Amino acid sequence: MNEELDSQLSAMFDDELPPAECELLARRLSRDEPLKARWGRYAIVGAVIRAERGVRLNAPLAGRVNAVLRAEPALAGHTAPRDLRHNRLRWWQPLAGAALAASVAAVSILWLRAQAPGEAPLTAHLAPPAVSAAPAAGTAQGDSYVVPWPKQPAGVTVPSTELANYVVAHSMFAPPVARRNLLSAFMTSEPATSGTEEPQADVQGIAQ
Amino acid sequence: MSADASDLSLVRRVQRGDKGAFDALVLKYQHKLVKLVMRYVRNPAEAEDIAQEAFIKAYRALPQFRGDSAFYTWLYRIAINTAKNAVVSRDRSPVEYDLDRNNNDESYDMQGRMKDSETPEGLVLTDEIRSTVNAAIDALPEDLRTAIVLRELEGLSYEEIAAAMECPVGTVRSRIFRAREAIDRRLREVFEGGLGRAEELG
Repeated sequence: MNEELDSQLSAMFDDELPPAECELLARRLSRDEPLKARWGRYAIVGAVIRAERGVRLNAPLAGRVNAVLRAEPALAGHTAPRDLRHNRLRWWQPLAGAALAASVAAVSILWLRAQAPGEAPLTAHLAPPAVSAAPAAGTAQGDSYVVPWPKQPAGVTVPSTELANYVVAHSMFAPPVARRNLLSAFMTSEPATSGTEEPQADVQGIAQ
Repeated sequence: MSADASDLSLVRRVQRGDKGAFDALVLKYQHKLVKLVMRYVRNPAEAEDIAQEAFIKAYRALPQFRGDSAFYTWLYRIAINTAKNAVVSRDRSPVEYDLDRNNNDESYDMQGRMKDSETPEGLVLTDEIRSTVNAAIDALPEDLRTAIVLRELEGLSYEEIAAAMECPVGTVRSRIFRAREAIDRRLREVFEGGLGRAEELG
């Protein structure tokens, strides 16, 4: 027998053979009966050196296991259908995940809107000021005052007056240059909404 | 060197449908597994039956083995669980168990030993194998004997043996191989003498 092959077999038995060589030798070992018998005897030598008392060194265990497994199908026959089924299931999984994420996001948004304290629904914000101003017209000065929205394109949802107020209220936390730039931007971009007077005038005009 | 590469290459072959590769794994680990199971059952023949069942369970479960742990660690767990289950189910069969227990220890051991070897030839062969291997080890040159004993008894890696023996790893590999060859030459004579060869590999 080839000495180099036997040397490799001994190293493989000890897990000391490089993986690439293991692949090649494993292939040969699974088919070459004399090589397999030698491999089995290496195991016996190890068992004797370790003095494994009570263990039958000539036990026909390998033969018995082999006889049982001979009646069974090879494992590749089991694994292939599993993989196919797995692949079949795999295509819709991203879609299901995206649908689930979208559902959770939608429910969260609706829930947050319902839970937000003192905030009217979006439709109320976008409703014409006349609706809010109607009770005020009847009593000359309404019991509750609702700040009407200036006429804006439907796409704009946050009035710049509120933003300006917000910036002024929190100006102490902003650096001076940024604060000045932001305020001047508001002043120049929307001169018609520079104060709170205009919406009031607008409400009064409609009421009359 | 990646640990367990040898077992893993055999395992991958089994997973691809090569049953012959599983024979190699059984041959390599059968003695260790029987020894392990004998911590749970005293009877060597029963230990062999449990080890056989563990190997078959392992084979059937191999598609799920991904190689996250070493193959022997995985096989070890299967064998332990199989042995524990066997002990539990045996304890649930009081008639058979009590009959065994009613025997005194000496007759119980004798029964186990007879079941172990089944034939007087089997007993003789086990003893012959043991004495042949021991005699072959004793006849080895000192450096070969030290290398094979450090490997098999102490479980040292080639690198550790090289450090202990102050020689290159390649020399260790060569010494262990030559030691095995010398022992195997004597052992083959025993098996080819007619008693063990056919029985061992079935």
